[in-house]
Amino acid sequence: MSGITRRHFLTTTAGTGLAGILATGVPPVLGQQREVSYLCWNNFAPLMDKKLAEIGQRFTKDTGIKLKIDHIAAAQQAAKYASEVQSQAGHDLVEMRMHFPWLYDSQLIDLGDLVADLEKKYGKVLSSAGETARVRGTWRAVPQYHAMFVATYREDLFKKASLKIPDTWEDLYTAGKELKKMGHPVGIPISQNYDSISTAGPVLWSSGGQEVDKDGKTVRINSPQTAQMIEWYKKMFRDCMEPEVLSWDDASNNQAIQQGKAGWIHNPVSAYIVAKQMKLPTADTINHHRTPGGPAGRHETDVPRHIGIWKFSKNAEPAKEFIRYLLGKRETYDEFIMSADAFNLPVYEKLQDHPVLKTDAKYAGLKAEGVQYHCYGWPAPPSDKVQLITNSFIMPNMIAKAVTGTSTKDAMVWAENEMKKIMAG
Amino acid sequence: MTRRKITQRLAMHLLLVPFLVFALFPFYHMTLTSLKQNKELYDRTAVPLLIRQGPTLEHYTKLLWDTAFLTWTKNSLLVTVLSTFVSLVIGTVAAYALARLKFFGVASLGTGIFVTYLVPTSLLFLPLAQVVNWLGLGDSKWALVVTYPTFLVPFCTWLLMGYFRTVPKEVEECAMVDGATRIQALWRIVLPITVPGLVCAALFAFTLSWNEFIYALTFTSSSEQITASVGVTSELVRGDIYYWGSLMAGAVLSSVPIVVLYVFFLDYYVSGLTAGAIK
Amino acid sequence: MAIGGIRVAAPASRPSLRAKVGELLDREQWLGSIFVSPALVLLLLLVAYPFCMALYFSVSNAFIGRPSHFIGVRNFINLWESDAFRQTFQNAFVFCGAAVGAKLVLGVSLALLLNQQLWFKRLIRGAVLLPWVIPTALSTLGWTWMFNSLYSVVNWTGLALGIMDPPGPNWLGQKYYAMAAVIIVNIWRGLPFFAITILAGLVAIPKELYEAAEADGAGPFSRFWYVTLPLLKGVLAIVVLFSTIFTFSEFNIVFVLTHGGPINSTHLFATLARQVGLETGRIGEGAAISLYLFPVLMLVVWAQLRFVRKQAY
Repeated sequence: MSGITRRHFLTTTAGTGLAGILATGVPPVLGQQREVSYLCWNNFAPLMDKKLAEIGQRFTKDTGIKLKIDHIAAAQQAAKYASEVQSQAGHDLVEMRMHFPWLYDSQLIDLGDLVADLEKKYGKVLSSAGETARVRGTWRAVPQYHAMFVATYREDLFKKASLKIPDTWEDLYTAGKELKKMGHPVGIPISQNYDSISTAGPVLWSSGGQEVDKDGKTVRINSPQTAQMIEWYKKMFRDCMEPEVLSWDDASNNQAIQQGKAGWIHNPVSAYIVAKQMKLPTADTINHHRTPGGPAGRHETDVPRHIGIWKFSKNAEPAKEFIRYLLGKRETYDEFIMSADAFNLPVYEKLQDHPVLKTDAKYAGLKAEGVQYHCYGWPAPPSDKVQLITNSFIMPNMIAKAVTGTSTKDAMVWAENEMKKIMAG
Repeated sequence: MTRRKITQRLAMHLLLVPFLVFALFPFYHMTLTSLKQNKELYDRTAVPLLIRQGPTLEHYTKLLWDTAFLTWTKNSLLVTVLSTFVSLVIGTVAAYALARLKFFGVASLGTGIFVTYLVPTSLLFLPLAQVVNWLGLGDSKWALVVTYPTFLVPFCTWLLMGYFRTVPKEVEECAMVDGATRIQALWRIVLPITVPGLVCAALFAFTLSWNEFIYALTFTSSSEQITASVGVTSELVRGDIYYWGSLMAGAVLSSVPIVVLYVFFLDYYVSGLTAGAIK
Repeated sequence: MAIGGIRVAAPASRPSLRAKVGELLDREQWLGSIFVSPALVLLLLLVAYPFCMALYFSVSNAFIGRPSHFIGVRNFINLWESDAFRQTFQNAFVFCGAAVGAKLVLGVSLALLLNQQLWFKRLIRGAVLLPWVIPTALSTLGWTWMFNSLYSVVNWTGLALGIMDPPGPNWLGQKYYAMAAVIIVNIWRGLPFFAITILAGLVAIPKELYEAAEADGAGPFSRFWYVTLPLLKGVLAIVVLFSTIFTFSEFNIVFVLTHGGPINSTHLFATLARQVGLETGRIGEGAAISLYLFPVLMLVVWAQLRFVRKQAY
């Protein structure tokens, strides 16, 4: 991006430029070339990265602030952020997904003012975004969008067998039995991967259970509600699924439904999007419906992503301007979201019924009215230890033990001990 | 040749076939996959050993234009060439000193350098990450140029020591009697004789450097700084979507420089491999 | 020089700095030290120093971005309570033992074959060495696809030959299969090193010994056992020792193929150290894990120096 000198800036058609300044209320400092750098993840929807670059260029044109966007693979983020923190140098803006604001809260500046503005325009942030971006009362990052899990099913098979679309997890069991008989079993992984946790969570939460209490200290996995979840998994495993789910990885359930094998999976829209892109024969038959609920409500796992600003950054003000530019104007925000083809959706209340959902009839199920979103470990605040519990896959291991012969009680006790060990440090 | 001998020979070759298939099949499969169309690739009823629906170059074009693959390759080349050069220089002089000169501590230094070669990079990467951060080289390919010599130098030194020992002392002594300094003797007389050794060391340094993974994975992370191996293994998987065609294309393309060197310098590789272990 | 028959010594000029330095550099003591110092400095700064740092980290509670405190051997003790670590410990020995053993047996067999009079000798040798030359992370990617749960060509072949039941194992997702997969890839990658090096050792055995043995009535197996093997001992020892340390500290294959899974069943010290040290930020524990490589390293170094490097430097 070529820098724009102030002189050039003033002599260009001042329309958008001045308007941009007036809107943000921050005048360009005389003679200073302002620059911001942004470390962003490799978006799972690659077109969104292209749109971000485009918006970035418009930002530079409108405000004169140079913007450099660097990308990094999601798996590399942890190591990279650690090294920036260690050397107290690096980028100004950083993508903070899920619980990262908690991990780095002492290194991020307070962005409460920005969030307040956005909430005024777009309504309150969704539960998961609030739980992860707001650390002990201070907003350490600004929520931008989220990718959520959703029920993905074979519409044609359901129609053929006149099956009711599951509204509760119990309904899923009923439908699942029929699906397995038809040769298209349900595909929920029970192995050491994040997809497993992403399904176990909602099932547990909707039956009222929790891993760790919201005080962040007490382990509550050993409870009748957990037993309810385990019993459900046991009968699902026995009557609706096949044993191979014990060895699935994150891509297996996608493949299962794309290949026409699975009749119902729980996954983000990636399964459908890829089928569409590759023009697979199953693409037409895949559809989505609202997450099933349970006695304690309708809960779903999601991955909210936020933008934070490092404390060591010397360009906090221009960085904030970029966030305001990207997310603050409705048209720009909408444009940004549309580029993701429903993979990343708005994380603010008033924007839930977004036009992007209308671009494909199959996205109707993503509207998700009445669904509460949470990140792994809810309702405990995402501290280090709670994250370690998640990353040790204790819940999927507990379920795996139960469905392969261990008694429900023993499985729960095992999980409780493992979690207690971690909480004790 | 007698009939018996021919059958015996044939039998030997037949026994080799499983080994050859084992060694070569993965490369065949990788290349095949990189040229297959997606619809055949993801078709469970298709035969994975052949391309039946026509080859395609789309994975290669996607790799080259839609990803930062060219940047990664550039990084790999830069890091590899620089660290090879640096290691060769440091290794050559050290090897000469250890093989030829008598000075305090020469024996223990020789052993020390040999021992360093045995220290695995997977033991050092964690603290080295901290050192790299302190040097201000966190997430930079320069960190690799600085750290790769740590395993290249011991190997080069050790390899070259063997070669230097094969040069008769008289050759240098002749030159020095004629008035050359030791350094001149080294540069003008000894090095030209040991060119095969230098080529061998350079080849190995290049290969080991290009092959290196754990330091590259740890010391570089953003898309602009990473090397080819790290890029292909981490950026072509987005979440739960594996772009298999491009993954294989990336693996094939990144191996090309090594294969080219290998084809031309096969004998050097073999002699280097055995020299390192036997001499 | 002679002027008019009288020998006149050339005027003794004061030696210039250049000459002085030059003279210094001709003295072995100085030259030797200067020549070795770059290597020495490099290795002290970037190998010895980090090694000491690893020792320090392992006895501290270092965490990324936070100050660290000395805690003694607590890391080493706490590790034993971790399921993942105990599994890793077992994995390391199983993996190393199986892989090195297989490479030894197959390596000797392949070397014996290569030692015969062959057509296309160069081509065959080139083909055999290829897996060792290609970057490991990339060739392992190829294996990842070959073992893919849905599209595995290994399974396809097994099913086609009738030696597997549909749908064939999920190599990378099931405990013992994953370990088998990792071992197979390690053997595939390491076999050339064994084969080519042992071949060089075989070539060095004088033919007369075989002829003498044959004249004495020894069959092919006896010849192998009584002539070849004893003379190969040195080479075998070297190769096994090298391979042991490199296999024990393996990272690339496990990281790319299984990432340590499923359920830690393929984690090795290197991959677990990276997961614990970098991905969750517990540098102290991570360093302690990687230091478990040290005893085996020491053993290999000692064995190499004692039994193999009999000749002094």
